[in-house]
Amino acid sequence: MGLLSDPSISTQSKLVDGLARHVRKVCYTLYVAGVVWFFCLAMPEFNHGTYLSENALSPGLVYPEIRVDANRLAIQLLEELQRERKDHLSTTPHAWIAAKMNEFGLETHTHNYTLRYPFGGGKEYHGKNIYGILRAPRIASTEGIVFAAPYRAASSVHADISASVPLLLAFADFARRKNYWAKDLIFLVTEQEQLGMQAWLEAYHDGDRDVDVSKAYLRPGNLPARAGSLQAALNIEVQDLEIDHVDVRIEGLNGKLPNLDMFNLVQRIMAREGIASGYKQAPRKKRRHSQSAFEQNLRQMLTMLASQSSGVPNGNHGLFHRYRIDSLTIAANRRATHATLKGNPGSAAVPLLKAVEGIARSLNNLLERFHQSFFFYVLVNNDRYISIGDYMPALVALVACAFVKAYLTWSTLPVTNAELEAAAGLVRDPEQEQAPELDQDGELEVDSDLDKFELPYGSVLIYLTATLLIGFLCNVLPLQQYFLEIPMGAAPLTTSVLSFLSLIGFILPFVVVLPPGGLELLHVAFLLIYGCALIVIGLLNFALGFFSAVLTVPLVISLETKEENTRSTLRNSIRLATLIMNPMMVIYVIVLAMTFYQFPELPLQKIMLRAATAAMDASAYGLIDSVIYGNWLYFVICTIFLPLWIICWTLALSKRRDYTDYLDFDESPSTSPQPKMKTN
Amino acid sequence: MFPRAFVLLLLVAFNAGSPLGRDDERFHEELVVRPLSGDHVNTYFQFTTRWHYGEKDNLYHTQLTPRVIAELLQQFAVKELHIGLTQGLWRYETWGYPIVEATSGAEMWAWFSGFNLTNDEVDRQWKELANVFSGVLCASLNFVDNTNSIAPRHLIRPQFMPANGRKFVRYSTLPREIVCTENLTPWKKLLPCGSASGFASLLNSGHVHNTKYHSLGLKVRVLCEDHDEDNCIVELTQTANLVYDLRLFELSNNDFSLRRLFGMGLNGFCELAQSSKIYVQRNEQGERFQLVPAPMHEVKSTRGGHTVVYSVYDMHEQFKDAGERLFNVAWLSPKSENRRRNLAKPVMPPVTVHRYLLGHGQERGRIVTEVTNSHYDALPIMVQEVIPWYVHAYLHTLSIRRKPHRLNEYGRQRLPFKLLHYTPGKQRELPSHLEIGFMLPGQTSALITIDVDYLLLKWLEYPPDANHGHYIGAAIVSSQLPMGRNYTALPAEGHLFEHSFNATRPSYVLSLHTEALIVSLPTPDFSMPYNVICLACTVVALAFGPIHSVATKMIIVGRQTSAPKNFVKKIFCKIFRRGKAAEGAGETEGAPTSGATEFASTRAAARPAGGPSGDQPLLEDLDEEEEEQD
Repeated sequence: MGLLSDPSISTQSKLVDGLARHVRKVCYTLYVAGVVWFFCLAMPEFNHGTYLSENALSPGLVYPEIRVDANRLAIQLLEELQRERKDHLSTTPHAWIAAKMNEFGLETHTHNYTLRYPFGGGKEYHGKNIYGILRAPRIASTEGIVFAAPYRAASSVHADISASVPLLLAFADFARRKNYWAKDLIFLVTEQEQLGMQAWLEAYHDGDRDVDVSKAYLRPGNLPARAGSLQAALNIEVQDLEIDHVDVRIEGLNGKLPNLDMFNLVQRIMAREGIASGYKQAPRKKRRHSQSAFEQNLRQMLTMLASQSSGVPNGNHGLFHRYRIDSLTIAANRRATHATLKGNPGSAAVPLLKAVEGIARSLNNLLERFHQSFFFYVLVNNDRYISIGDYMPALVALVACAFVKAYLTWSTLPVTNAELEAAAGLVRDPEQEQAPELDQDGELEVDSDLDKFELPYGSVLIYLTATLLIGFLCNVLPLQQYFLEIPMGAAPLTTSVLSFLSLIGFILPFVVVLPPGGLELLHVAFLLIYGCALIVIGLLNFALGFFSAVLTVPLVISLETKEENTRSTLRNSIRLATLIMNPMMVIYVIVLAMTFYQFPELPLQKIMLRAATAAMDASAYGLIDSVIYGNWLYFVICTIFLPLWIICWTLALSKRRDYTDYLDFDESPSTSPQPKMKTN
Repeated sequence: MFPRAFVLLLLVAFNAGSPLGRDDERFHEELVVRPLSGDHVNTYFQFTTRWHYGEKDNLYHTQLTPRVIAELLQQFAVKELHIGLTQGLWRYETWGYPIVEATSGAEMWAWFSGFNLTNDEVDRQWKELANVFSGVLCASLNFVDNTNSIAPRHLIRPQFMPANGRKFVRYSTLPREIVCTENLTPWKKLLPCGSASGFASLLNSGHVHNTKYHSLGLKVRVLCEDHDEDNCIVELTQTANLVYDLRLFELSNNDFSLRRLFGMGLNGFCELAQSSKIYVQRNEQGERFQLVPAPMHEVKSTRGGHTVVYSVYDMHEQFKDAGERLFNVAWLSPKSENRRRNLAKPVMPPVTVHRYLLGHGQERGRIVTEVTNSHYDALPIMVQEVIPWYVHAYLHTLSIRRKPHRLNEYGRQRLPFKLLHYTPGKQRELPSHLEIGFMLPGQTSALITIDVDYLLLKWLEYPPDANHGHYIGAAIVSSQLPMGRNYTALPAEGHLFEHSFNATRPSYVLSLHTEALIVSLPTPDFSMPYNVICLACTVVALAFGPIHSVATKMIIVGRQTSAPKNFVKKIFCKIFRRGKAAEGAGETEGAPTSGATEFASTRAAARPAGGPSGDQPLLEDLDEEEEEQD
């Protein structure tokens, strides 16, 4: 701060003055440039074709050996499983799976875990995963690959994917009879969707954790057997053995992605086996060709970013990423009509089995962990991508607005009491234009050092801390014991706590009014914090950072604490926009839009109501996700966006203390401040 | 904590086994076949050469013992040497205990003893010894040095007859070592018959390396009578321990034979061998098989309350008749079992060990060694860990937690240390060496954790394939079993497999190896230096042209002609002058004037002949000037 606050470094250079006058134009130009750059990325000139960077993978180097007998086994297992499912409507047939794994010669183990649900009086759920390890002949259990299949009970509301387990077992039986494995293969069947996988991974990597039974939510326990450091994982979700197409899912927790090489590998091998596969692959009928390539690319990019931005993984694979295990899900969808069936039903799953074998053998070849290629990318098409170096400029241009504006605001901070007085005078009487007089006064006062004005750093810092404290409370408060004991559902509880804290944030600027110069300083601090936060979020999860930047940067640019040239309608509209930008409101609007999209037939009132309950659920899920899976979204919204919004709201209100309270001028005190009147 | 009474036993055995006269050498070959659970078959080869060499001078004339072993005793003060080259991991839970223990990769330890031996001298000899065997076995043992060797305090105990002087021990493992044919061939060359005849002819690399586990071992020990350097026996034991996986054969049933396992039948016995026997375990997993041909006799061995039945084939008897050419043994499982695989769960051995790395990220982690005691009574456990220098261990975080079998989570219950020995490591010089001892209650598991930090290495210290990770060698866990179930190791005083029959002792020393670990140290992006190199090379290449031309061309200062100030005119003038100069040059070449020749001669004097032709413009300028002068 010493350097910045040194008055001898004059900020009154000609260029800065010139720019400061056009700060909005400069910022809007940058904003438009960023958005246009992003749109340009969809054009083939701006993105690149995918290629395999890791030579060791050499996909398709070996001929697939898996034959129709494996398919026959899969069909037989599926039939057996369907019989088992009739007896186990809401549970997993653990015994059957374990018996099959044992029969195929895998080292079979079960893993028990416990979930203590934080809300509703601390109910306990028990779960059980089954996994079999194929001990590779060529290695001393130092490395492993995971092949996972989630099991969904017959009573589950999600799509039936019971064919995954037979497929996995059929492949396990084939793989067990081969001697070329150089990594232990783990065949894992998880239950309860992502919870089982999370528990298994935590047990694998933190099995010794000495958990406090009363505090921990997920108690993963310890695993009875391991297979060294896991190199890669493939999650298999198959709806039926007769498949139409394969959807490759890559988005993981907090928007992390598997190495691009892994995606390319899967794409290559699927193509070799003649399976229609791709990222967000749709069934053949629905594929539209009328769209232009640009539109299609843009749509693909936006859907990918949209699913990344929430940070919720769209498959079990997503939980591996934080342990630096590259993984993805191949979700095979059921063939819709049997009339278009080309092949013989007895060999329907052979291509998929061959593909799994090919992927397994390529991963088996890996000498090193995935480290080449890209971890940060956006897929434009199944065979085209944008690397981080190409998409970051878009975000940087957006965030640059905040920094440019921060610098220019800093350079025009009031230095002397007279300037301050002038600014305050304007606040007192915004309708009256006094600009020329101000200039004269300013110039007169600059010469006298005695009138130097000290910026209120202390109070601004305290104000910032207070807002951050509110954000912190959002994180902590809903999980406190005395709140949990309230007989209330998770969603209303979380929402009420969040609403209450938001309300405090809303009222804060009315109660606490910063000393003179404080608003300007707060504005600079806000811009800096905002810029830093966005760039950090953008680095960790580009989609979230980019979308929030696109949404909020225009508001931040137009935000102004001085009332020199702003009309009152503009000010009011900015205040309205700020109100709408409340994180809670944004969530509600997003949920509303999604509800509207999903249930267009409902009347508007019902949709609004339904969206409200859905948004409440969403906030509760966000909290649970952050507690159990380590999703950052809730934390980011509470700890970063909510405090930023409170500051933003303060700035939009621009409430100033009565100037005369601070200076012993014998000017008559003004009547009640006008901004308050306006909002009321 | 452990009695060292077996030294006494050794002595007794040595005195008892005195029928060996001076200067006589004996060679024995043995093959043990043990069907294991989960469709695995363990075949264990042991080749033993025992030579009562008497005086040290006799070592210059070897017969059955390889010369390199004899030279070893002359050059180094080594009394006992173990080398193991292993691929794969012995699975204690399903296979029980092996006859010889080995860790995956290369493992080596040696005892030195002699007069006036110092620590530095032992370090020197240890390194040389490793280098010798690196050559003998074509293994990377030359990488054994102080940075990965330790001097175990409690866990590794001598099996030789102590002569005089202090004893020193060194231990090292190379977990990254990959064992292959290139190790098998030189290993076979140490045998008296080579791979020409006898059991060693079964060890074909194509079949040996298609196993789930194979381990080559070499053990040398010297047994001397007290205070007598001239009455000694050198014993060389070469072992090959293989585990076959019958499922890899893609058979419809569980039948197997020597021919199927090794690719060929047995072509006889090594003529130099004193005995040549095949032992086939007939109880436990071997019970269901029928042997063809039927064995000649059976041996029943009761050891520590546990009975094992072996069928014995004596090759000397088998190949008595001249007619016999190839010998094969087939194991036939009953027909009813052909369809159903053997699913019988094996009996858990009393002590099993596992090791794994916990935590994620490249900054820190926890090394965890888990020891499970499924015996009903408490057992003494000792653990030896070697933590390489690139991993910083924190002793204060060392803890042993326990859990009863029925739980699946470790709580806060701790076990007290009975013994703790720790030698801190030193970056790039010494590994951390940790030995701990404790009593493990029955039906309980112990979790030994120590927190570690991963070091950022210098960029030349990363091995090729740096993102593969760095290895942390296996830990050794030792215990003393009160009963002999699952226990098959040879007694310390015996040297043949048959010496383990009926060898009941008060306790059985067990030593187990855990898995090795791979850690991902923080690894830089190595394509960055590559990019830098590319960039630097481009810069050099671009700079080379101008620098070369500056360095090799003569610089002649031409007089400034009246150059126009205007930019457009300048260009115009340049083009114009160039055209004119070319004409002028043609003229001067065609009909040199006297002035031109004069100048040419001065120029030749100023510059050595045959300069580069790139300086044409300069010449032209000069020519032009000349013309102007004219």
